[in-house]
Amino acid sequence: MIDYAEMNQLLFEGQHEALKRMTEEALAAGRPPTEVLEEGLIAGMAVVGEDFKHNRIYVPEVLLAARAMKAGMAVLQPLLTSRPGGAGSAGVIVMGTVKGDLHDIGKNLVGMMAEGSGFTVVDLGTDTSAEQYIEAVRRHDARILGMSALLTTTMIYMRTVVQAMKAAGLEHVKICVGGAPVSADYARQIGADGYAADAASAVELFRRLIAERPAAAEAGPA
Amino acid sequence: MRPSMRVLHPSLRDRVIDESMDVLARLGVQVEDPGARQRLEAIGLRADPTTHRIQIPRTLVEQALVTAPSSVTLHDREGRPAAVVGGDEVHFVPASSALRVLDRHTQQVRDPNSADFVEYVKLGHGLPNLSYLSTAFIPKDVPQDIADAWRLYLVAAHSTRPIVSGAFTAWGVPRMGQIMAMFRSGRDDLAARPMALFTVCPNTPLRWGEDPIANLMDCAEWGIPVEIVPVLLLGMISPATTVGALVLHTAEVLSGLTIAQLVRPGTPIVFGGAPASFHMQLMSNPMTAVEALQLYCAYAEVAKHLGLPSQAYMALSDSKFNDPQAGMETGVGAFLAALAGINSVSGPGMLDYVNCFSLEKLVFDDEVVAHARRFIRPVEVREDLPAGPLLEELIRDKHLLMSDHTLAHWPEELYLPGPMVDRTNWDQWEGQGSRTWRDRALDQIDEILGRYEEAPLPDALHAEIRGLISRTGLEPGAALPMLGGVR
Ligand code: B12
Repeated sequence: MIDYAEMNQLLFEGQHEALKRMTEEALAAGRPPTEVLEEGLIAGMAVVGEDFKHNRIYVPEVLLAARAMKAGMAVLQPLLTSRPGGAGSAGVIVMGTVKGDLHDIGKNLVGMMAEGSGFTVVDLGTDTSAEQYIEAVRRHDARILGMSALLTTTMIYMRTVVQAMKAAGLEHVKICVGGAPVSADYARQIGADGYAADAASAVELFRRLIAERPAAAEAGPA
Repeated sequence: MRPSMRVLHPSLRDRVIDESMDVLARLGVQVEDPGARQRLEAIGLRADPTTHRIQIPRTLVEQALVTAPSSVTLHDREGRPAAVVGGDEVHFVPASSALRVLDRHTQQVRDPNSADFVEYVKLGHGLPNLSYLSTAFIPKDVPQDIADAWRLYLVAAHSTRPIVSGAFTAWGVPRMGQIMAMFRSGRDDLAARPMALFTVCPNTPLRWGEDPIANLMDCAEWGIPVEIVPVLLLGMISPATTVGALVLHTAEVLSGLTIAQLVRPGTPIVFGGAPASFHMQLMSNPMTAVEALQLYCAYAEVAKHLGLPSQAYMALSDSKFNDPQAGMETGVGAFLAALAGINSVSGPGMLDYVNCFSLEKLVFDDEVVAHARRFIRPVEVREDLPAGPLLEELIRDKHLLMSDHTLAHWPEELYLPGPMVDRTNWDQWEGQGSRTWRDRALDQIDEILGRYEEAPLPDALHAEIRGLISRTGLEPGAALPMLGGVR
């Protein structure tokens, strides 16, 4: 019998190796991967999220839990990826700081938090060109592209990327932007799909965009 | 004796310096940009071909510390010496490069434009306690690739004061150098009588990004003084503890200093910094956090011991508005910076994690600066020892208001604040219209702007600078904004 409460606790404590082992044991014991994911990992992460929101734990603990989540996900992923958009990976996000800009602290935090929520994050680092974004989005079949910029000189490049994504026929990929000089208004102006002011709301934004996607896709071609 | 403070035991300070040199020799700094690596190789700094890290031997750092000057004299637009950055001097300058402004009429936070910027320059020019001006925020009504040169020009067009500035692109410095050289007989004269101090930031931990390293080497080639400003975030991209952070901070400054000295020995380098804490709940980066303040004061001690001029982002606030938090953070920072003897303190006017600039705050902070500078004036005997005769006079006359001693000394001793500090009693205050600090700040701004007198630049010089900026950064057919004073 697999004790999901214990898995949740390991996740909460950030014990990634032990959690990975327990994930493997659960599968070996014949539990369905979706159940392990939901009850072993996601349920644990929900507590982490709640406690973070209420100042009971802090960023380091959240990131430790996120790392454990990732370790567990790595075990489950191969069994879940046959169901794209299913309960498995929350989806692939390609992230990068735009061309000319080396500020990556905020982007890295967003990436780590997103991984902790079950997203698969492909991090392109800093100084990323439109071609690099597009290439990565295609290669990883990403559902979201996240761009970060901290300079007024570089944020304008986001518009270039949005247009290049359209030109490349990748309209269905949701584009999210963030960074100190960026705003929700600016996101709208350049035709991006979303903006978030911090890492926690970025993850909520990603979730929301993923959830609304199927409807949009149905409406799209008509 | 000048009032001062210490946060490090000398043996700990020496240990930190030693460790930071060790870190540079063992870990070195990483330079990803191939162009920069080529330039570094030309001055004898070879990167590891796979890690792109450059180890910097201790002897090179020590040699660089010998050639780096212990002070730099900033000159005004006309080439007159204006401020010595070094020694025991403590100067205050508006903080730099905010993304937004707090509109004083609407109290809304919004994007700045060139007209806002000119207003700021005129106001800053008239504030008596600031030693020079900075390019405080970034006008959004010009293409951003030229914004660095544009705001440098706007300061020089409307004020004679020296400038703290910096470039926004890898190629930004030479263009700004050319503009400044137009105020001198040429490049050599500019190097001999610099009119600006440029900010350059290493990419913590122990990396140099493409733009900053190009800016650093270009400044050194031009002889433009540089403040090296690491931005550690404690617990995030730095050890959370003061000593570990101090080693990292020192190593980063010394790496830049060594590179600059290799490019051109004698390049003035200011040991600067803008370290911040990292908020473990909100993920924000407060520079006014108490632990960050300790780090600022600690690195100032290291800088002094190394015989280098120092700079810090202090005397500013992370608050969003001009509220009690802003007053506390700015005041505490200003006093600590003054007591630590930091030569160039970048802060006045700034709010919101260096993201937002406020003119009301700038006039208020000018007063904070006056207080901090007054506080560090040496305590000296002023005809008051032995005190007996003076006290006899007091007992005899019951007051000293008309005493020769008072008449001789009170104007120097008893500081009368300007209108930003309210010293009325309640009835006087009501009698004068119950004016809030904001009413008074707005009046101050209007008054200073009202008495502003332009020291105009020759038309030909305007044209030359505008021509250079247009040629090097505007799309064909686009035009730069025309502003008052520019014909
Ligand atoms: C740290 C810092 C640096 C570090 C960067 C280190 C690194 N590895 O990132 C260093 C020192 C290297 C640096 C360099 C420079 N910097 Co800088 N920097 C900052 C500073 C102080 C903090 C940024 C930060 O990390 N904040 C903490 C993180 C957690 O917050 P965040 O980035 O905002 O991210 C959060 C949200 O925005 C959001 N988010 C972020 N990205 C994304 C993406 C998506 C998709 C979503 C949904 C959300 C999201 O979630 C994040 C987490 O909560 C800012 C000022 C500020 N307060 O923003 C200046 C600032 C951005 N820098 C500035 C400048 C001028 C520079 C330099 C040009 C200085 C110079 N002359 O050398 C260089 C630029 C070099 C270049 N080409 O990029 C200016 C920008 C001015 C302007 N108008 O453009 C600022 C505003 C400071 C100032 N007033 O001078 N800088």
